[in-house]
Amino acid sequence: MSVTNGAPAPLLRLEGVNTYYGQMHILQDVDLEVGEGELVCLLGGNASGKSTTLKTILGVVPPRSGKVVLAGEDVTRYSTAKRIERGLAIVPENRRLFGPMTVLENLELGAYLRPRADLKEDLERVYEIFPHVAARRKQLAGTLSGGEQQMVAMGRALMARPKLLLMDEPSMGLAPILVERSFEIIKQVHSAGVALLVVEQNANVSLSIADRGYVLSTGRVVLEGRASELIRHEELRKAYLGR
Amino acid sequence: MSEPSDSPRIGVDEWVASAEGRRERSLAGRAEALYERTPAAVKLLALVVPFAVFPQLVDSDYLMQVGVDTLVFVLLALGLNVAVGWVGLLDLGFVAFFGLGAYLYAAVASEYAGRSWDGMLAIPAIAISVAVAGFLVGLPSRRLVGDYLAIVTLFFLQLWLVVLINASFTRGPNGISDLYPLQLLGREVVSLEGYYYVALAFFVVIVSFLFLLNRSRTGRAWRALREDELAAELMTMPVNRLKLMAFAVGAGIAGVAGALYAPSQGAVFPANFDILVLITVYAMVVLGGAGSLLGVTVGAVLIMAVLETLRDPSDASWVFYGVVAIGLVALMRPRWLAPAVLAATVVFGMGVHELAERARPSLVEGTTVGTARIDELVDSWVLVPEGAVGPDGLPAGALARLAYLGLVASVLALTLVRDRWLRAGLMVPVLYLAACVWENVLLAQPAVARFVLIGALLVALMAFRPQGLLGRRRVEIV
Amino acid sequence: MDWDKIVQLLVNGLTLGSVYALVALGFSMVYGILKLLNLAHGDVLMVGAFIGWGVLGWLGGAQDPSVAVWILLTLMVLAAMAGCGFLGVAIERFAYRPLRRAPRIAPLISALGVSFFIQNSVLLLFGANFRSYESFDLVDVEVGIHWGPLNVWILRIVVMASALAMMLGLWILVTRTKLGRAMRATAFDREAAAMMGIDVDRVIVKTFFIGSALAGAAGVLVGLVFGSINHFMGFGYGLKGFTAAVVGGIGSIPGAMFGGILIGLAEAFSVGYIEDVTFGRLGSAFSDLVVFLILIGFMLLRPQGIFGKKDVKKV
Repeated sequence: MSVTNGAPAPLLRLEGVNTYYGQMHILQDVDLEVGEGELVCLLGGNASGKSTTLKTILGVVPPRSGKVVLAGEDVTRYSTAKRIERGLAIVPENRRLFGPMTVLENLELGAYLRPRADLKEDLERVYEIFPHVAARRKQLAGTLSGGEQQMVAMGRALMARPKLLLMDEPSMGLAPILVERSFEIIKQVHSAGVALLVVEQNANVSLSIADRGYVLSTGRVVLEGRASELIRHEELRKAYLGR
Repeated sequence: MSEPSDSPRIGVDEWVASAEGRRERSLAGRAEALYERTPAAVKLLALVVPFAVFPQLVDSDYLMQVGVDTLVFVLLALGLNVAVGWVGLLDLGFVAFFGLGAYLYAAVASEYAGRSWDGMLAIPAIAISVAVAGFLVGLPSRRLVGDYLAIVTLFFLQLWLVVLINASFTRGPNGISDLYPLQLLGREVVSLEGYYYVALAFFVVIVSFLFLLNRSRTGRAWRALREDELAAELMTMPVNRLKLMAFAVGAGIAGVAGALYAPSQGAVFPANFDILVLITVYAMVVLGGAGSLLGVTVGAVLIMAVLETLRDPSDASWVFYGVVAIGLVALMRPRWLAPAVLAATVVFGMGVHELAERARPSLVEGTTVGTARIDELVDSWVLVPEGAVGPDGLPAGALARLAYLGLVASVLALTLVRDRWLRAGLMVPVLYLAACVWENVLLAQPAVARFVLIGALLVALMAFRPQGLLGRRRVEIV
Repeated sequence: MDWDKIVQLLVNGLTLGSVYALVALGFSMVYGILKLLNLAHGDVLMVGAFIGWGVLGWLGGAQDPSVAVWILLTLMVLAAMAGCGFLGVAIERFAYRPLRRAPRIAPLISALGVSFFIQNSVLLLFGANFRSYESFDLVDVEVGIHWGPLNVWILRIVVMASALAMMLGLWILVTRTKLGRAMRATAFDREAAAMMGIDVDRVIVKTFFIGSALAGAAGVLVGLVFGSINHFMGFGYGLKGFTAAVVGGIGSIPGAMFGGILIGLAEAFSVGYIEDVTFGRLGSAFSDLVVFLILIGFMLLRPQGIFGKKDVKKV
């Protein structure tokens, strides 16, 4: 196991998580860690349990057994909002912007738990990374293009000054050029010291920037390790990388 | 790098292949599986046999009347189940269709109308007209989600009541009371037993029809619609037509129920078709398990039985204390806890009674409503203050009202207590309070108390067992 | 033209309409945030009317109030708002929250049960007789505006003004405050709102409190200007409130206001004219028919309501 050897203290840890939908056992004994400042990717095909893992981390779906630990604190019984308070932020799948509200209002909602005094500073910081968003701040979020929405969603998450940023399928539904741009920003955010957990189907791009990776299949972690090693793994290449 | 050997292959998700192994293995899960495996024909037979032998067992007119009413309500519940259980539409105007069927009978077979159609003509004609009425009522909300349908149907019920009470041709609140008995092929149905068998015949026909309908393409489409309207629409199902159809079928069955109910009563009154009836039918559908023919029928019989027993204060007390005791035994774990709590409640009550008798005798000077053995027993246990209930049955002072509100609040609060032992401990005074409120407030007005209990039943069922007694749990994937 | 009658009906309609608007607002807010038809909303109004009646009796009754009239009225409204606010919170907590993930019909049936439970509890405790606020003893019917054909009793003005003030307050709350922003976000996408750190449950509780408090206030206002109250009154007001919300565009605040006024006016004028128009065949009880036809008309021609946007389904 490469995780424990001198890796930074874990910011997020799942311990033996089992999740059910009704009688159906979905996640089976999932263990997962993200260290301070680490960029970890979670790979898997459609319906491999990626989204359920994310929902378990966020507290949308309660696990039957196992623990979710954030920065040493057991948050398994906490509501989503309380977990966010512990330094989480998320860029959800399909962005999930608040369509009938303006871009500025969306960003302000991202900073919902931040003190009002910091708002201006946070906004400026986000506008600096996404100058394009600044120009659109008065526009309704629902009227933006897909690429713009992706930027607003990332900006909104950064407004919370997260310690750990969760990204659910950042490449979904974006043109290749925008995927590249998204991952550049992810790298940029990562280099600023923010830990990231990127949930992706696109193994190639995500492994190329990640420190470590996990592979999920039918609700189990079937493979984990350094990204540099995973990218050379025979079976994984066959399954996800197309050769 | 680690790679457990028995794990699924990378990139291959085998949910279907591994589904059996992923099923929960519990006693409840197995019982459910057994129930699901029982052939439908067996279940259907189990449904009809008890009804067929009922008349052999009873010899009083009163019970026979209850039997006829029960069958009518079973039909109603079956009809409502089509919209509510199978398609998931909230039809709040349903009882108006029941009323429409009954008043249409009055329109084709009464001295008032001056017509006397044969039942073989009248009942099918009524069923079809009421189904058409149901179709028309559902029509305006054709483009919309079920919620709008609920508002339109609720409003329709209101209008229906306005018409019944204010229009001259319905004779207002006095109703129409000179109905002709049901005629079948020229022969009049004269006895209650006769009505019972006619209703039973309709029950068999309708249950078989519904059974086949449920298995048909339409039945499958309805279920698909209930689970996911959008997906159903994308699969090119005619969503609106399916909804309207369910609506019309339900209304038609209600029409038949009305057409049987009217002659068995000999008269029709607006009060027989108001919102109280609506809620009762909803409770029937939900209690047994919306969506299941067997469940709905069982629910209807149970509710009818309970409502009938609640008419008499002494019987009502048996039901009340019995249901509380059985409910606790069934729900509390470990097994010995429920008897312990009940015993503690009895002791607690005797203590409180004793204290009250010494400190403020006026608190125990009244007497409970009933006169049977159980009432005498209870009399020396609960607090029955002198004059707590006025001559009209209403609480006379603030004390009884506060006790009632206190009971509601404490029962609700009790559901929030997580710790099992603390909850069991708190249950003792709450149960005693419940007994006091039952004897002083609820028993004084059994007619109202019945409906308070039905309201509470609906809420509690939805919160704890939304699939009803016999229904299957549906899982919403989030 | 009988101007006196028209002006009178106009005043009646506006009074009634402002009550409907308050009901529609609470109903619409809850629908917006939970997508739930709160069928018990009318019964909350009824409880508000009874609380107001209780406070009135407790402070000496209409003939001999122990405090100044305006203090009495304020206390009645505030007590009803607080009481109903907490009632609404309790309804949400015990009847709706356990059902967030249940099939859509489950909370509706639960709502039906709550409505029925409240109605019959009040019947059980207070009986079926109508109770009166006797507000003509409280404020003389001659006090008010008298200007040409316009004769408006001051209590009616109070009712309209306070309803308007509450609506404005709500509008400011929803558009200008942090809570309002959280409410709109939760209404649009509950899960995404939670991901922003919004405590969705608390937002929902606050929404229920505010909506139910408005219904409670409406209950007292009804008692003040329309006199008598009983356990079943919530049904009619709830129904008209729902209709107003649908006609105005469910989920929209200005929609609820305009819908309420429209339904109020329609009802007042049909009460006034239905006998003339139908040559005496239909009595004033049939004014509901007119309101129903308006509802059907909107369903057929503009199902999203006056202020609603076309319903875009999220796939």
